[in-house]
Amino acid sequence: MTKTWNETLYDAWGQRHDIDKVYFEFDTGHQQLMIFHNALFGRVMTLDGVVQTTEKDEFIYHEMMTHVPILAHGKVKRVLIIGGGDGGILREVCRHKTVEHVTQVEIDKAVIDMAIEYLPSHSAGAYDDPRANVVIDDGCRFVAQCQEKFDIIISDSTDPIGPGEVLFTSQFYSDCKRCLNDGGIMVTQNGVVFMQLDEVKTTAQRMALTFGDVHFYSAAVPTYVGGIMTFAWSSDDKTLRHVDAKTLRERFKAAGIKTRYYNPDIHAASFCLPQYVLEAIGKADNR
Amino acid sequence: MANLFSEVLFSEAKTQALVSQYGSPCMLLDCEKLADQYRQLSAALPNVGLFYAVKAFPHEAIVNTLNQLGAGFDIATTGEISLLRSEHINPRRTIHTHPIKKDRDIRDALRFGCSTFVVDNYAELKKFRKYGSRVGLLLRVSFRSPDCAVDLSKKFGCQPEEVQVLLAQASALGLHVKGLSFHVGSQSTSPNAHVAAIHACRELIENASLPLRILDIGGGFPVDYDQANDMDIAAFCAPIRAALAQLPKNVDVIAEPGRFLIAPACATIVSVVGKALRGDQPWYYLDDGVYGMFSGRLFDHARYPLHVFRTGVAVSSVLAGPTCDSIDVIEEDIQLPELEVGDLVVGCMMGAYTAATATTFNSLPVPRVVVFGEPVRAKLAYIS
Repeated sequence: MTKTWNETLYDAWGQRHDIDKVYFEFDTGHQQLMIFHNALFGRVMTLDGVVQTTEKDEFIYHEMMTHVPILAHGKVKRVLIIGGGDGGILREVCRHKTVEHVTQVEIDKAVIDMAIEYLPSHSAGAYDDPRANVVIDDGCRFVAQCQEKFDIIISDSTDPIGPGEVLFTSQFYSDCKRCLNDGGIMVTQNGVVFMQLDEVKTTAQRMALTFGDVHFYSAAVPTYVGGIMTFAWSSDDKTLRHVDAKTLRERFKAAGIKTRYYNPDIHAASFCLPQYVLEAIGKADNR
Repeated sequence: MANLFSEVLFSEAKTQALVSQYGSPCMLLDCEKLADQYRQLSAALPNVGLFYAVKAFPHEAIVNTLNQLGAGFDIATTGEISLLRSEHINPRRTIHTHPIKKDRDIRDALRFGCSTFVVDNYAELKKFRKYGSRVGLLLRVSFRSPDCAVDLSKKFGCQPEEVQVLLAQASALGLHVKGLSFHVGSQSTSPNAHVAAIHACRELIENASLPLRILDIGGGFPVDYDQANDMDIAAFCAPIRAALAQLPKNVDVIAEPGRFLIAPACATIVSVVGKALRGDQPWYYLDDGVYGMFSGRLFDHARYPLHVFRTGVAVSSVLAGPTCDSIDVIEEDIQLPELEVGDLVVGCMMGAYTAATATTFNSLPVPRVVVFGEPVRAKLAYIS
């Protein structure tokens, strides 16, 4: 009999994976982490019944979370990653030769160790990069006490119902703002908007308390089911999300990065939100 | 082990052997008896999903035994969720049935993976607005029941005439109500209340503006405390089966049995630790009482069948517990032969709402639970 795994994110609907093999299961008593193999998505990592990342579609998420803010900024030297224990964001950040330093704050070292062993292509050696400084700490506490400044902050958290709850608070956003250099950008994963429209509303309201320009950009990631997922975008400089295509092409070319999802046209288009999302965040248009 | 209680507990030597091994007082939990109760109720209510009311006795061996049999679980608190989580229970086979919740309770349940919740008023509905597609709701309807030992439709449940309004309100909030639930009360003396409630819910479902596909008929399935014999549950459920047969074909039926499953599967062994003659009545002081495993004597209005190993002329006697409180009396007028200090007393049918509500008053520890016949534990929660 085929073993199957059912996601428990929504009550009336959800994705199902046939399990070819379970590689890893870790039960802390508070949460359950599992990595199994599925024929279509390769290795799938789940936490408490929700897909976190898969080998086959992770590139969409990690490229968009990383290259959009870095190439929009254009002069990034210092990056802060909150969460992201699987190493995918760190891998993409480290591909930018102009980045001089990247700090990653992950609350659970076990997640990093487990990902290096069972999802090695996620970090692809990035944890050995001399520019990377990995801190094991609560991301919220870290930014509240941090004296350093960064050009980009990327919050790669779990679902806001899960342990990443504190990374969706006004306090966290304002602490992050304090850790940003002038002209800095913060991006956060913000869930699948069709399924969780309220989360976009809440994030928009909370970020607007701190940042001058708040918007979202999007990409469809197959195992974050239910349509496009949104990434929250916040800065004080509205022009950063309207960098023209020619400039983006030049920066992308100069970076010399080969991507599988990201390109400068996708970059520009990803800020065009559907009407129902604009309405939810109280905007008349995408400008 | 299937005959643990009938063979062992009515033999003084075997009971004494258990006390020598496990101490007194102690509670015995027979997982095979529990499994037998589950099979009986499943047979009496075919095609009804049974969700064990964890509150009746939140114990890992019980959860594990019922999980192996395919049961679901009715939970009401984060503490109960912790128990299910540690036993690797698939959250899709759980329902959260507390009608009143804090936001934290909702989040804890969602994080566990339980997405079915019970609601009976608008203020509660509004709490779910932000969780939208994550949740499916059951509306709890109140049907008062004079035939129950504990009437559970007084504290919770909307009036039947409020159902359509609440459905419309839920819809306006973007919430999915997937069914109705009711709870006629605990320890029903007749199935009439269940039958009347099922018929009333059928009408509500037929007249609802949106499809409702679940009917949760609650608990209330009785056990026979008087004789310590197995209740004829098939006969009790016959009118309920007939009423369920008239439901629309799309409706799945579930139930929340607690007492019926676990009460007969536990017995408590206590010892006489003191005796006195007060007036005409002998008083026997036991090493456990209403602050311990006999707590259901107060909270649950239950009288447990008691067994002693002496014969002789029975006279009206008092059985008191070990605490300093005068309320700690298990029986005030029970016919017993003369007992001596050191005698054992066995309390039968003691699985439901006993250990669950036991206290440590007087700094007396809750008696240990000795488990017999527990199956091997489940491994992975989300895999089916």
